[in-house]
Amino acid sequence: MRLAFVGKGGVGKSAIAGTFCRALARQGHPVLAIDSDPLPGLAFSLGLTISDAPLPDEAIEDKPEGEEGPRFRLRAGLTAADAVEQYAATAADGVRFLQFGKHRGSTGRGLFRSQFAFRQILRELPEDRWNVVGDLPGGTRQPFTGWGDYARLILIVVEPTAKSMLTARRLSRLALDEEHPRRIVAVVNKAREAGDAKTVEERTGLEVVGAVPWDVAFAEAEEKMAAPIDMAPDSAAVKAVESLVEQLSAERIS
Amino acid sequence: MRVAVVGKGGSGKTTTSAIVARTMARHGASVVALDCDSNPNLGLSLGVGDFETERLESMRESLDEGGEEHAPGWDDLIARFGSDAPDGVRLAVVSRIDNPSPG
Repeated sequence: MRLAFVGKGGVGKSAIAGTFCRALARQGHPVLAIDSDPLPGLAFSLGLTISDAPLPDEAIEDKPEGEEGPRFRLRAGLTAADAVEQYAATAADGVRFLQFGKHRGSTGRGLFRSQFAFRQILRELPEDRWNVVGDLPGGTRQPFTGWGDYARLILIVVEPTAKSMLTARRLSRLALDEEHPRRIVAVVNKAREAGDAKTVEERTGLEVVGAVPWDVAFAEAEEKMAAPIDMAPDSAAVKAVESLVEQLSAERIS
Repeated sequence: MRVAVVGKGGSGKTTTSAIVARTMARHGASVVALDCDSNPNLGLSLGVGDFETERLESMRESLDEGGEEHAPGWDDLIARFGSDAPDGVRLAVVSRIDNPSPG
C-alpha cells in the first residue's frame, strides 16, 4: 500500500495519518511513515517525542563525475531499504518514520540533497516489503510538487466546511497524475452529523471511504503532542481510523 | 492602512481577514481584500459564495495561461480581477494555485 494524506491546513491530516500508520502496523504490516510537511505533526501523532528524523548528511553524496542520474544520491552501497533500516526513527508498533521537506540550515542545499534522497528511497524501496504512508503539506501549493509522486492512493482529508470542501475540489484536480493513474478519495474528518459524508461526496465529487467523527480526543492529543491511539484508544475517532485501515487492507487483498 | 494576516494552516487566517475587512468597511473605510493564499478561500469567508470564489480563481488561472491580459495598473487589476463582496469590500485574487514541479 502506498498512500498519502492531503487536505486544507488544520483539517487533521497528521492526526489521522499517524493513527492510520499505527493501526496498520498492528495488523502486522511493516509501515514506513513519511512526513514531508515542514511543520512537525506526524511524529507526535505516531507517539514519538522527537519532531525530526532526517537522513544524516553522510547518507547522501554528490553524484560522481561520469555517473548517470540525479545530482545527489544515497551513498554508494547504501540501498533504499538499508537507509530506512539504519536511519528511520522507530515508533511504537514498529512503525518507522522519516522526515523530509524541512529546512535545517541557513541555505537550501540540505533540503535539496534530502529531496533527491527522498525520491530515490521512494523509487527503489521494495513495494512488497514496505507500506508507505505519507503526510503531505497542507494547502494546495506544495503537496504535488514532487512530494507525493509515490502515492497510488490519495486520501483527501475533508472537513464538512465550505473552505475545506473547495480545497478538496482543487486538490482532486492537482492530484491527477496522467503518467501514473491513481485513486483519489476523500476521508471526512470532524463529522458532526449523519449527512456530512453525503454532503462531502456531493460537493467534492469524490468517493468518501471513511468518516471520522468530531472527537475532542484528537484535539487533546494534539495539545499534548501525543498519539491519539495511545491517549484515547477507545475514542470514536480512533475507532473510525482503525476501520478505515481494515477496509483499505481488505480491498487490497481482494 | 495596509494589513496582512499570516499563521499556520487551519488557525483562522482567512476568517480573521474577512471579519477585519468587513468590519473596517462597516466603519466607513474603503477596503480592498487581496487573497494572496495559494489556496484562495477568502471569497467564502467574505460571503460571495462558492461560485464567485471559483470564478475569480479561474480568471486568475486564465491570466497565466494567456487567456487574460495582465492589468496595466492597480485600479484596472481591482476592476477586472475583483468582485464585490458585502459591505462594499472589493475582493481580488492575486495568488495562483498550482505550481510547476521543481527540477
